[in-house]
Amino acid sequence: MLIAKLTALLGSEIVRADATALEAYSRDATPLFHGLPEVIVSPRNTEEVAKVVKFAADTKTPIIARGAGSNLCGATVPLAGGIVLSMANMKKIIEISKSEALAVVQPGVTNIELDEAAAKDGLRFIPDPGSRNVSTIGGNVATSAGGLRGLKYGTTKNYVLGLEVVLGTGEILRTGGRLVKDVAGYDVTRLLVGSEGTLGVFTEITVALAPRPKTSKYGVAYFDDLAAAASAVDQIILSGIMPATLEFLDNTCIVAVEEFAKLGLDTKAGALLLFGDDGDEASVIPTVERMSEIAKAAPGCRGVTLAADVAAAEQLLYARRCSLPALARLGSLSILEDIAVPRPKMAAVVKRIEEIGQRFNLRIGTFGHAGDGNLHPTIVLDKDNVEEVKKSELALREIFNLAIEFGGTITGEHGVGSAKLPFLEGLIGPGNMELQRSIKKVFDPRGILNPGRLGS
Amino acid sequence: MSKPFTQNKLDRCISCGYCLPACPTYKLTGNEESSPRGRITLMRAVQDGKLPLVDLVPESNFCLGCRACEPVCPAGVEYGVLLEEMRVATWTGKNRPLIVRGLFIAVGTKFMVRLLGLFSPLAKNRKSGSEVHLALGCFERALFPSVSKAVAAIEPNCSISANQGCCGALHAHNGELEKGKAMAVALGDSMPGTILSTAGGCAAHLSSVLGRERVKEFSEWWAAKESALTPIMKSGKPVRIGFQDSCHLRNGMGVFKEPRAILAALGEYVEVPDASGCCGAAGTYALLQKKNSRKVISQKVRDIADLKLDYLASVNPGCTRQLKTELKRAGVKTKVIHLAELIALSQK
Repeated sequence: MLIAKLTALLGSEIVRADATALEAYSRDATPLFHGLPEVIVSPRNTEEVAKVVKFAADTKTPIIARGAGSNLCGATVPLAGGIVLSMANMKKIIEISKSEALAVVQPGVTNIELDEAAAKDGLRFIPDPGSRNVSTIGGNVATSAGGLRGLKYGTTKNYVLGLEVVLGTGEILRTGGRLVKDVAGYDVTRLLVGSEGTLGVFTEITVALAPRPKTSKYGVAYFDDLAAAASAVDQIILSGIMPATLEFLDNTCIVAVEEFAKLGLDTKAGALLLFGDDGDEASVIPTVERMSEIAKAAPGCRGVTLAADVAAAEQLLYARRCSLPALARLGSLSILEDIAVPRPKMAAVVKRIEEIGQRFNLRIGTFGHAGDGNLHPTIVLDKDNVEEVKKSELALREIFNLAIEFGGTITGEHGVGSAKLPFLEGLIGPGNMELQRSIKKVFDPRGILNPGRLGS
Repeated sequence: MSKPFTQNKLDRCISCGYCLPACPTYKLTGNEESSPRGRITLMRAVQDGKLPLVDLVPESNFCLGCRACEPVCPAGVEYGVLLEEMRVATWTGKNRPLIVRGLFIAVGTKFMVRLLGLFSPLAKNRKSGSEVHLALGCFERALFPSVSKAVAAIEPNCSISANQGCCGALHAHNGELEKGKAMAVALGDSMPGTILSTAGGCAAHLSSVLGRERVKEFSEWWAAKESALTPIMKSGKPVRIGFQDSCHLRNGMGVFKEPRAILAALGEYVEVPDASGCCGAAGTYALLQKKNSRKVISQKVRDIADLKLDYLASVNPGCTRQLKTELKRAGVKTKVIHLAELIALSQK
């Protein structure tokens, strides 16, 4: 018996298998994916992780590392049963080095906990996925999470310096370290970032931090539609500005967000563009004013307002991060996508998405990171309407194809998981897919780590 | 058997997990099933017949019912309502805790409620011209009668009558939802106009049944009057005052700025870390789940001790009792007091 053996190995305190616990861990934040695990293990240190993984390898038991379970691609649903490895007990911030501008943390620390700890030393952790209040650094690294600052600052992959990882054999390995420059050997660290728990389980993560900006300023511009907002974004970038944040929402999203956040947004507008920058006052203020002017002059602009202070700006950003769950107010099932396209193609792509929504008669709310071309078209429907669910699958397939047609990708920041694995080979080609499978075998010869994902 | 939960209330949750960091029992355990999202997953499993009802009992017991998950939920999940339904489904028959049965009897009739206040020096009965009635509460009248006396002293324009029943919050939160609602309606009928309550928990329940406009919690009532207040002085300096939110007042009624504004006028206001987080009293929780209740408050006690406050203001009798007990146990000198009593003190 799996449970008896694991209990004997690790003690009953961190091994659970009651029906309620199994049910609770049978899903993450992805709709439609459910699978019961056989046991939940919550290790407290690297050695315990290694023991469990070694056990899983010896018994050929599937094992899935899980942070907060807030991912949106079905990456942590135990579809093959087995062991869920909850990293919730490993949540120590081991070190923050101000002089090296880095932090060493355990994987269960949440994104915001790390950022708040860094703030005490005048630093910040740059990647800021919408789920930052809940998602863990382990999960952020496993999916190379993005966020609202991608255009100017990049995403998680740009900030991971080193990892301690338990491979599929149970072996503990260290990759990278504390250095910005280090080209000794293949960049295994970078390979592990975004590996969705298929190559190893992170037990310690070293990330680069950045100085906390002295000031930030944000504004909101309203447009007739998303395409007009996207064109304004192009104008901003063409003018030589690369701001921290350029986010947009269509009317469906504006209405849903306003209902939750009550910020007085213009719910009549076809689209909203949230723009802003951070840094020194001398550069931020003119930059934001310039963006405001460009937006005002852009075709289809209905008006621009600047946030009065940092608190007001924070509220706007918070509201934007809540777009997806706020959309859930509109229907019992929301299926969210995560395509990314070259930014100059964005205006054309959003028009095509609208056209797909109309053709299938589906309600699609689109929001996204306009600065980096990452779009989140979200289909909101009634989960019991079989016809609608079927139609939404077809519509999603068209949206994927649309992204590929325009030179984009099927996932910008959420990950492939179970949800998009069937479409991966079509995007990257059979040669690359075969390489991914070969890589997986080297790290995890027994095929136990998060089976059914990436190169499985 | 009819389904225990309102389906469209379950459907609202998309499992995004934004509620996890707000949940005190998730913070304590790190266990998914002890989070709002996890509990909703379990409710769904029961609703769909995948798990037997009895499997809900441990989490139904463990949940504080603080509703801190509600204001942070962008999808607008009414967790408080789902919890009430879960308690109705689980706390029946022999699964209803004995203490709860006893308490139901203690507040079940007007006669019993009056009995609770029999030996307490309560505010005296009086009629005023305005249509504002002071709700005396059940446990507040027994344990902290000085609260109603303070209100009577500082708020001459409200009617007071000892002849009133319980608001039904106790029933509603402990598995007798329909009775709890009926009791609120009965209390509302006996007090036409505005009901003024000094207990956040009672106010939230009454307003959920009678409508938000019928019910005023004391601090929001007082803040709206904009009366001038003078600071309470101690050795020539304004006293240091902290505050503990009432969960249902904050998360259910959205009232949290008002008490802080009042307290800032009464002395040097100091925000207690995690003041919005549950103190572990949580209605009957402190009686039913003593160990967990003390785990929930332990960090708070340390934080309050560090702040060296003169007063810690409360707006709910359950919180007052819990904070008094635990601060005393830890040897902390800070005096726990209802906000209305502090106002009365400042006017002496």
